[in-house]
Amino acid sequence: MRRWLGPLLALALCTAAAHALTLYLTPGVIMNRAMEALAQRGVALHRFTTPERVTPQSQSVVRSSPDLYYALCRYDLSKPGSVLDLRMGAWPDYQSLAFFDGQTDNFATLRGTGNAESVRLLPPGSAAQPGAIVSPTTKGVILIRRLAPDAARFAAAAEAGKADLCRLREA
Amino acid sequence: MRRLFAYLAAIVAGCALGLGSALWMAGLWPAGRSLAFGDVDVGGWRSDFAIGSKAADPYTRARVARHGLLALAKTEAVYLTRALDDAGEPLRESCTYRLTGGPMPGGWWSVTLYDSGSMLPANTDGALSIDAGRAGAGAWEAVIAARRPERAAHWISSRGAGTFDLTLRLYMPDSALLTDPNGTLDAPRIARLSCEGAS
Repeated sequence: MRRWLGPLLALALCTAAAHALTLYLTPGVIMNRAMEALAQRGVALHRFTTPERVTPQSQSVVRSSPDLYYALCRYDLSKPGSVLDLRMGAWPDYQSLAFFDGQTDNFATLRGTGNAESVRLLPPGSAAQPGAIVSPTTKGVILIRRLAPDAARFAAAAEAGKADLCRLREA
Repeated sequence: MRRLFAYLAAIVAGCALGLGSALWMAGLWPAGRSLAFGDVDVGGWRSDFAIGSKAADPYTRARVARHGLLALAKTEAVYLTRALDDAGEPLRESCTYRLTGGPMPGGWWSVTLYDSGSMLPANTDGALSIDAGRAGAGAWEAVIAARRPERAAHWISSRGAGTFDLTLRLYMPDSALLTDPNGTLDAPRIARLSCEGAS
């Protein structure tokens, strides 16, 4: 019996380690895959992509809402001194500017119902500044949602989206 | 040599067990498991209010990354999912349901139908959801069916969905919903009206 003790211990340790490692890595792996898929579907780096209305034929992200206008911008702040300038144009109904890091966490959201909003996004480790948000990871996704439950409202949201900005400034 | 083989087998089996158990407990394997999970359960509508935040446990984080990527944190939006009808049976394309509800504790809401892969069903019916604007104030009702019903104010098409679930989105939720979801939300009900092939 004692000779099985070592292999049984190795089995238990490897099970626990693989379990924990899988859970730790899964969000990052899924986010990486999602960002690659978004890139393949034309979601630009450092620019809000003019979206199509979400339909079964156009959907690219799980559980998208057909009642919302989504504009996406991928970012990469890996170059030292890089800063992302962001603006969400005015919209009379609900709208939000949401930030997701490389681990899928929604680390900041600005609500802008009736207003335009501007903010800067700084690389990880940056000192806090007024009017700026520090990203926990170098890469991530920014998402504008606008309430637009029909074709006419979606067209109006797309018009409002012309005032949106996602632009990289490098030092 | 036998001892070395025993250790090698233990390591390989341990890695496989760890990987499989993590994916299973996070609801990622086997494919097609429901998003209806979490510590909040209001009338069968389930959610985890830690969605989108670092506070979420690793199982929730992994599951949301797969099924609810780019979901907002609870102060901005709350997502509740239901995969069973009022009788406890899985929601499926071959049945017709009546979805009923009332006013919701938030700035705007919608109920959207998703297939087992968390995608909108592959149909061209243009009837994927009902929302606060279409439902109006007060009590509301929608029929969920694979074909447009003859008499119904609102229709959500399940054509092409197979086994499906519904996600209730509540944007700008009232703070009371976050602290006391069961006391605040009058959860929509899902009555099964008929099923194809049933007598």
